[in-house]
Amino acid sequence: MPQVTYIEHDGAQQAIDVPEGENVMRGALYNGVEGIVGECGGGLACATCHCYVDEAWVDRLEAPSEAELQMLESAASEVKPNSRLSCQIVMNETLDGLVVDLPERQY
Amino acid sequence: MASQAQETFQIPDHVPPELVMNVGITESPEFLADPYAFFKKLSLEYPPIFYSVGSHGGSWHLLKHADAFRMLRDAEYFSNEGGTPFPRDPADPFKFIPIEIDPPDHRKYRAILDPVFSPQGIQTLENTIRKLANDLIDEVIDKGECEFTTAYGRPLPVSIFLDLMGLPQDMRDTFVDWAVGLLHSTTREGMATAFTQIVAYIKQAIAEKTANPDDKVISRIVQGQIDGRPMSEKESFGFVLFLFIAGLDTVFATMNNMWLWLAENPARRKEIISRSNDMNAITEEMLRMWAVTFSGRSLRKDLELRGVKMKAGDKVMSVLPSCNYDAEVFADPLTVDFDRTRKPILSFAGGVHSCMGAHLARLEIRIGLEEWLKRIPDFAVKPGTKIEYRPGGVVGPEYLPLVW
Repeated sequence: MPQVTYIEHDGAQQAIDVPEGENVMRGALYNGVEGIVGECGGGLACATCHCYVDEAWVDRLEAPSEAELQMLESAASEVKPNSRLSCQIVMNETLDGLVVDLPERQY
Repeated sequence: MASQAQETFQIPDHVPPELVMNVGITESPEFLADPYAFFKKLSLEYPPIFYSVGSHGGSWHLLKHADAFRMLRDAEYFSNEGGTPFPRDPADPFKFIPIEIDPPDHRKYRAILDPVFSPQGIQTLENTIRKLANDLIDEVIDKGECEFTTAYGRPLPVSIFLDLMGLPQDMRDTFVDWAVGLLHSTTREGMATAFTQIVAYIKQAIAEKTANPDDKVISRIVQGQIDGRPMSEKESFGFVLFLFIAGLDTVFATMNNMWLWLAENPARRKEIISRSNDMNAITEEMLRMWAVTFSGRSLRKDLELRGVKMKAGDKVMSVLPSCNYDAEVFADPLTVDFDRTRKPILSFAGGVHSCMGAHLARLEIRIGLEEWLKRIPDFAVKPGTKIEYRPGGVVGPEYLPLVW
């Protein structure tokens, strides 16, 4: 099963197996990663699953949709070029080892 | 009451008789005696999906967290059109916006207010809310008692609403009266009078903000563009009216529920006061315990869920407070536990229609708690009080007299 490493804002790391087809937001939510909220459950309505994708992985992800980019503008923490909404990153085998940094706050 | 309702609303033939349970949510005597005991009983003792007929008609009731999550997120099967049970004049129809707009158009309306209600937007409100809370506490603290719902639970969200909308604070008590009249009237006449006044005020406010725009919510709505065309007058009206209905009663009822529990649980109150660094988790857990509303949809297509066959056109309602007590998601769900692992609560619904004001509500409640407990740490329900609930789509005690 592909693995995602979540790095909290304080530096705490958790490596979690996230099944193929599942998204990175839910992988965090169901495994007690504090730094992701996911208020709307992946509906692109809340901007509370904001993450920073490790530079090495940015180009290996599918590009964000217009709707995701628009919603990202509402995020509580600084939006950077590697910002993504983690509900929109769906896991597959090629993403095994993905690393995401979590922002200081989601709201 | 149930038999009377059944005479008015026919139960569709495809609903198996064994799944018809007229539980009378928000109106049966058992519900009104103690709504949260009732929600707990539903989640413990009832089938996950059943059909119930009430005074607004019949609907499938969903009690499982996973099913509610599906309903809220699956716009292919579940539509919001006509999902809001609120009387409207058929000769002058309008939509409540954005709740009654389905994707993809829905996002175009939400985007107009994202800068205000998003996590980023509401951060600027913290000091304003803290000051408003303290102004209200100033008015009652030396009296040693207050009727909480009118002294704090109602005016705090109303003041914040006025501020966000760009309306004058001296309208606070008038708005409080309107909100009480519209949402809690015991008579149709009382409700109609309040509604007429609100409609007239909103129309006038829209006209004024059209002439003299500011950067507040009403102006943003009237200046909003949908697919490059300006927002129509009717759309602006439906948008502003919906915010009024959605924004005033929900936080109010939530706070009334929470303060009742706080008044009756001194040890837990002390625990909260001693954990001032954990206020986000505390707020979240209290929001889980006291979800105040429900979420309705209409089925677009036939759907079989947990073996229950539902048909296109059926109404479906997620009983969100019971869904928050689903033991498959929240271990030991009936215990107030500030240290539980964070999972999505359904108090703000979910999916694209998840509550636009959720971040604002969290902030209002957290600050409301912090400031109150700082200044009035010990309080109790006034002796001899009988806590009462009235029928309605938002659940909370009607009056809450407190003493300290």
